[in-house]
Amino acid sequence: MPEPDRWHRVAALTDLREGEVFATRLGELELALVRIDGTVHAFDDVCTHEYASLSQGFLEGGEIECPLHGARFDVVTGRCLAPPAERDLRVFPVRIEGGDVYVGVTAPG
Amino acid sequence: MFLRNYWYVAASDSEIGRKPFGRLILGEPIVFFRTEDGTPVAFEDRCAHRHLPLSMGRLVGDRLQCHYHGLQYDRTGQCVRIPGQDQIPSTAKVKTYPVVERYRWVWIWMGDPALADPAKITDFHWLDDPSWGAKSSYLHVKSNWQLVVDNLLDLTHLAFVHETTIGNAALAEHAVVKVTRAPNNVVVTRWIIDQPAPPTFVKVGGFTTNVDRWQIIDFVPPAFLRLDVGATPTGTGAPQGKRVGGITMRNLNAITPETEKTSHYFWGQAHDFDVKNAELTQKIFEQIQTAFYEDVAVFSAQQRNLDLIPNPPQIDINADTGVIQARRILDRLYDEEQAALHATAAE
Repeated sequence: MPEPDRWHRVAALTDLREGEVFATRLGELELALVRIDGTVHAFDDVCTHEYASLSQGFLEGGEIECPLHGARFDVVTGRCLAPPAERDLRVFPVRIEGGDVYVGVTAPG
Repeated sequence: MFLRNYWYVAASDSEIGRKPFGRLILGEPIVFFRTEDGTPVAFEDRCAHRHLPLSMGRLVGDRLQCHYHGLQYDRTGQCVRIPGQDQIPSTAKVKTYPVVERYRWVWIWMGDPALADPAKITDFHWLDDPSWGAKSSYLHVKSNWQLVVDNLLDLTHLAFVHETTIGNAALAEHAVVKVTRAPNNVVVTRWIIDQPAPPTFVKVGGFTTNVDRWQIIDFVPPAFLRLDVGATPTGTGAPQGKRVGGITMRNLNAITPETEKTSHYFWGQAHDFDVKNAELTQKIFEQIQTAFYEDVAVFSAQQRNLDLIPNPPQIDINADTGVIQARRILDRLYDEEQAALHATAAE
């Protein structure tokens, strides 16, 4: 992952509960955050198949299942694991500072 | 698509008495009656002789007599009298169904009778529990049963279909929705925290502060939806499971397929406050009933379109999460039941 252009504060660490998905927005971006074994991961909240909020889906282990059509993604790597989605999910680097969660965003292209 | 190895609600307890009562369930004509000691009995509603519905006949003691040629069947479905003939063929009998009376409803088992365990009946105790006030009723629906299940799993329709009755904008705008699932269960939980109580809640709950409100939809296959709705004063701990100083109501739904395109819709409303106040029970019931008439109009209109264009393409939106999970469970259970049937047939 290249060094991001900018870091944005998106949540307080206390907003995130182990095993639950926290959804937020960063401008146009719909962002999902999860905390797994203490580590925070950030990914695009919109399924790569059709519009659906993955944060309303099912987080099981390190995988999230789309609530509508059952596509599955690895929340750490963004890898697409099950159809009908075919493309991987965009994931973002995370930095924790002073109890706040920052997400790094690189302009596409 | 019908699931057979399940208990379904066949009738309310008052529908079945000493006059034979016919009802079509999962496409099968069934006649119900009570024996002299009050036990409900269910037969196939077709005389083994010339196919007249036995529901057109009458009871002679505990025997059901066909209206056509007077054949009489005992409570086991065995023909025990043929007028003008002493010998009764061993094949002169009608199919019987396991039935159980519970929660003011009569339940029927539509599958393999050997599997009919009354312990599998879905819990609806709120309808006859003295610590609740309750009233139940029946609606005939001109649509496939799954459209009714869909409706109850996505309550965002309240703001539109029930705009002038039980709808409330806060439900759509301020709610946090969570769907949880188990192999045979879907639960849709909606919390509205620290908002003013709707007028109807203020009236019965006497709230003077903002409230925490919940709507918890519990789906059990094939078509049981038990809704837990209520409110407590904000900050008293309801989201953490401690309900004090508030009100709770249960909206209870049991849908029984009649045909692929029509359904029996049994429902009731229960409340945990002022439980002996029959006038209040009636008032709450009527309010919900008005809303349910609005739903029934939606179901038949949907079915008319589905009849014109079978299996049309459709889009899914975020609010469909519960609906889709429930349909996935039903599809899996149907496949499992069919596979088991074919395995048995192959033996």
